[in-house]
Amino acid sequence: MALVAHARVDGVGRRWLASWGTREAGAAWLFMLPALVGLFVFHILPLWRAVGYTFTDFDLFSDPTNVGLDNYSRLFSDDQFLRAIRLTATYVVINVPVQVGIALGLAAILDKVTASILVRAVLILPFLISNVVAGLVWLWILDPAIGIVNHFLDLVGVGSQAFLGSETQAIPTIAFINVWRHLGFSTLLLVAGIATIDRALYEAAKVDGASEWQQFRRVTVPMLRPVLLFVTVTSVVGSLQIFDTIAVTTEGGPGGATRVFMWYIYELAFKRFDFGYATTLAVALFVIAAIVSVLQFRVFGRDNRA
Amino acid sequence: MIQLGNRRQQRLAFLAVFALIAIACGGSGTGETGVDSTAATTAAPTATTGGAATTGGTAATGEPVSLRYAMWDANQQPAYQQCADDYMAANPNVTIALEQIGWGDYWTGLQTSTIAGNAPDIFTNYIGQVPEFADKGLLVDLAPLIERDNVDLGIYRPGLVDLWVRDGVQWGLPKDWDTVAIVYNVDMLEAAGVTAEELNSATWNPTDGGTFEEIIARLTLDANGNNGLSPDFDPENVVQYGFIPQGNGNGIGNVDWSWLAVSNGFTFQPEPWSNTYNYDAPELVETLEWLRSLWNEKGYAPPYADVSSLGATALYLAGEGALVPDGSWMINGYVDAEDINSGFARLPEGPVGRRSATNSLADSIWSGSPNQEAAWEFVKYLASPACLDVVGSTGVVFPSIDSGTQLVLDLRAEQGVDISAFVDQSADPEGTFLNPIGDAFAEVSTIMTDFEDRIFGSTDDIQALLTEANSQVNEATGG
Amino acid sequence: MYSGETTVLDAPAAVEPALPKFVLRRRRKSRSALGWLTIAFFLLVTVLPLLWVLRTALTPPAQIYSSPESLTPPTVTDDNFERVLGLMTTEEAVAASGTAAQLDFPSALKNSFIVVTLITVAMVSFSSMAAYAFARLSFPLRNAIFYLFVGALLVPPIVTLIPNFVLMRDLGWINTYAGIVAPHFLMTPFAVFFLRQFFLTLPSELEEAARLDGAGRIRTFASIIVPLSVGPIATLATLTFVTEWNDFLWPFIVGQGEGTRTLTVALGVFRSSTPQGAPDWGGLMGGSLLSAVPILIVFMFAARRMINALTYTGLK
Repeated sequence: MALVAHARVDGVGRRWLASWGTREAGAAWLFMLPALVGLFVFHILPLWRAVGYTFTDFDLFSDPTNVGLDNYSRLFSDDQFLRAIRLTATYVVINVPVQVGIALGLAAILDKVTASILVRAVLILPFLISNVVAGLVWLWILDPAIGIVNHFLDLVGVGSQAFLGSETQAIPTIAFINVWRHLGFSTLLLVAGIATIDRALYEAAKVDGASEWQQFRRVTVPMLRPVLLFVTVTSVVGSLQIFDTIAVTTEGGPGGATRVFMWYIYELAFKRFDFGYATTLAVALFVIAAIVSVLQFRVFGRDNRA
Repeated sequence: MIQLGNRRQQRLAFLAVFALIAIACGGSGTGETGVDSTAATTAAPTATTGGAATTGGTAATGEPVSLRYAMWDANQQPAYQQCADDYMAANPNVTIALEQIGWGDYWTGLQTSTIAGNAPDIFTNYIGQVPEFADKGLLVDLAPLIERDNVDLGIYRPGLVDLWVRDGVQWGLPKDWDTVAIVYNVDMLEAAGVTAEELNSATWNPTDGGTFEEIIARLTLDANGNNGLSPDFDPENVVQYGFIPQGNGNGIGNVDWSWLAVSNGFTFQPEPWSNTYNYDAPELVETLEWLRSLWNEKGYAPPYADVSSLGATALYLAGEGALVPDGSWMINGYVDAEDINSGFARLPEGPVGRRSATNSLADSIWSGSPNQEAAWEFVKYLASPACLDVVGSTGVVFPSIDSGTQLVLDLRAEQGVDISAFVDQSADPEGTFLNPIGDAFAEVSTIMTDFEDRIFGSTDDIQALLTEANSQVNEATGG
Repeated sequence: MYSGETTVLDAPAAVEPALPKFVLRRRRKSRSALGWLTIAFFLLVTVLPLLWVLRTALTPPAQIYSSPESLTPPTVTDDNFERVLGLMTTEEAVAASGTAAQLDFPSALKNSFIVVTLITVAMVSFSSMAAYAFARLSFPLRNAIFYLFVGALLVPPIVTLIPNFVLMRDLGWINTYAGIVAPHFLMTPFAVFFLRQFFLTLPSELEEAARLDGAGRIRTFASIIVPLSVGPIATLATLTFVTEWNDFLWPFIVGQGEGTRTLTVALGVFRSSTPQGAPDWGGLMGGSLLSAVPILIVFMFAARRMINALTYTGLK
């Protein structure tokens, strides 16, 4: 759509140039000036500088010194970096499928059962609350000693769980908190996606004798592919950058069990003032995010069949 | 979905991004100059030793000055606010704003604000953090100022001033001191038939825990009312723990484990300020093995996760257990608790004796402060009897001078609380030791925090973990 | 727009001809009941934690520890709210909470309002101007420049975070409103992209007519485009407000100083301000609840629009 509009304006544009000429271009530059300054100063320039930092040892207290490729070679011998990748990957692998899976099911049900704005409003409530508050709320609810969830687990005989205080449970718990916060949003995205599906497809499927489950499999899911792709890609890229929740709950602990990519970068930069290496990690995260996104487009985006 | 139009546009978008990277990479050779130019402005906070002396006497000339004073302990804030108010009343040209940031964000926040060039003029300092600041030239050397103003250092309790001196440079004026003792729940002791005398004369060793472990066992109760010594005792179903550990000691173990380990012959470093650490020493391994067995095997202590999430103090005050080791700066919290009647006992006597870590906090001046002279005047006041007696009368910490310390003792005596356990520990010439100190201790602490979590939160082999931890530590410090 | 029950429940009986009508009806009913049950479950999972926050905030701090399992506050109190709002003296607050560490909510609220309002107003204005240029004006390198914006959208914020922090340091903007506001003040790539997509859908006849009447670009924009785009601009403003209100990492790094802490930062700092003891849950939950109130008020008045906006941004 966007391209079509361009083409039209461009075609007319040639005639315009003759009469309006530089005035239009001048106006455009004027209109764009603040945004262009913003783009240059806070996006392009820092990207440039970030890459420059990766070749330095830089603590902000003294001049950066050129260390060549040291930061990059350190990357590959740094156990914490590898662990951060592993932890972040674990988080993504739990968070995204669970969230998208539940959201898809819930969206299909919502679509059939109710159009109530109240239900939708309640579901999206957690998304309006900050990550910080969501983290604090669950930190309290899941407290190992006096959290209400553990009280009920005790009652039913399961016994108290450490949750965020356990090395093995911390990452799944953080993932759960994130699912809780984002589930409503993902669901509503998918509901809106389902609403755009041509109802005739369902009628045709029914005529063919398809059950509701089969309709879901053969009509809803394939037709939702673009929306699903969007939801998945954005939640993967978002999950790679999980930070807020960890900052207010585990702060990378216990025993470094939640020192995910972003937290490790934060620690290196703002606790240890190792800006050169921290920036190198940030650039590495960028590259990983880009590769993962491209892969997702490749894997899920190409096949247009059911 | 977000429409980058069609597939081609998506591809173009990615291309654009990678083009950007390519541009940035291509320019990296010249990027250095870009970095350098930013660094030129880094020099703001590098004024160092003696700078204050030449800054001129703003305080004396009566020009309006505003000072910012940072601290982490919220409980001490009211006392020092009183000092600041008194000082402002006497010096109407000076305005002092107290800023409190919790320990967790305090040091990072301070360093960030020194980078930013707007750090507080004065901040409460911990000796272990001094190298991080001193090496970067962020602290004012007080020695020339002390000499110039003939400040009487004889008023301070022995050893406290020296703590803040290294190579003739003085980083702060001491304002308090502390030791560790065992806090006990009077009613629980009584119910178990344990006397305060027994607890005060307890012995400990890492093999069988000595009488200290026996007392802990007697103070532990399961749901059927059996104590820890009973053959019927059910460690899975404990309603009252004999001992509440403090949890992760961040490589210092001030109230957590150093009093046990050092009383077992452990030393952190060959000598203070050396960049070598002994975290793999058998004396520490044994100690932590004993400590962990309290919750992992014996059921005498709450699970590690409970301690990590709530803190030992809260668990104790919720009536979960009978004993908790804690520092003298926490006395107020225990005495003021309404439902729990607490007493303070000596630390147990280990194989080499009774040992407690001792600290002294001091106020340091940021070398980038534009008002160093006024800051110095206030620092002098903070460490003077006028302020320290105000602090002492609140009982919140032991001030660094005898009169202030006496005020705390008087206050507690009035309340009928015996806090001699802390004072006796400090009076014993062999009774105290210093926390580890050295360059890059922040990194040491980060590593040890991770490992302590892994040690206390698991059943993994402690010797192996500490060996790995120590090699990481010594690698990080170059020791 | 949303498919109601009609699509499914009024389906022709021919689909399953073997079954009598009443069986079908019952099966559909039970299916719908199952659907409602599922929805109810997720509504509960969504709401119960928030109710627990309220319960905690209404409980005196001492009882939070002494009776953690009580489903209602053993004693209802507004102490936590009073404390958080600074309506108590320091002594009263210490007595109520057992700690002198207090959340300076009023100042954090003020900071959040200032920061978020500045960003929302400026960013939406500047972004819509740029979006207009991209959608309607022709000038050299237009597409190339636009792709730079789209490209910036794809760069994870962490990459630019450290250089931007250094820039703020060099400008002396750490712990200032300017520092917190700066990176989003002039534009966000998303906003430019979002509005451009909308402007492209506007019919150009009106503008051409206005221009033939002699109106300049600026007047055309102000008197034709903006009034036609009130909906999307309001949507973008609402989204921006919510996003910035909840933002944490950047304000945490550049605005941690006492004078500039926004609500999220103040809550984060408050949480770690009791190193030796347990967190002050009463105060934390009270503060958390209050910090969400402005968003909830906006949401109450604009729920439908916000839901549509949130989903629209994803689907457009």
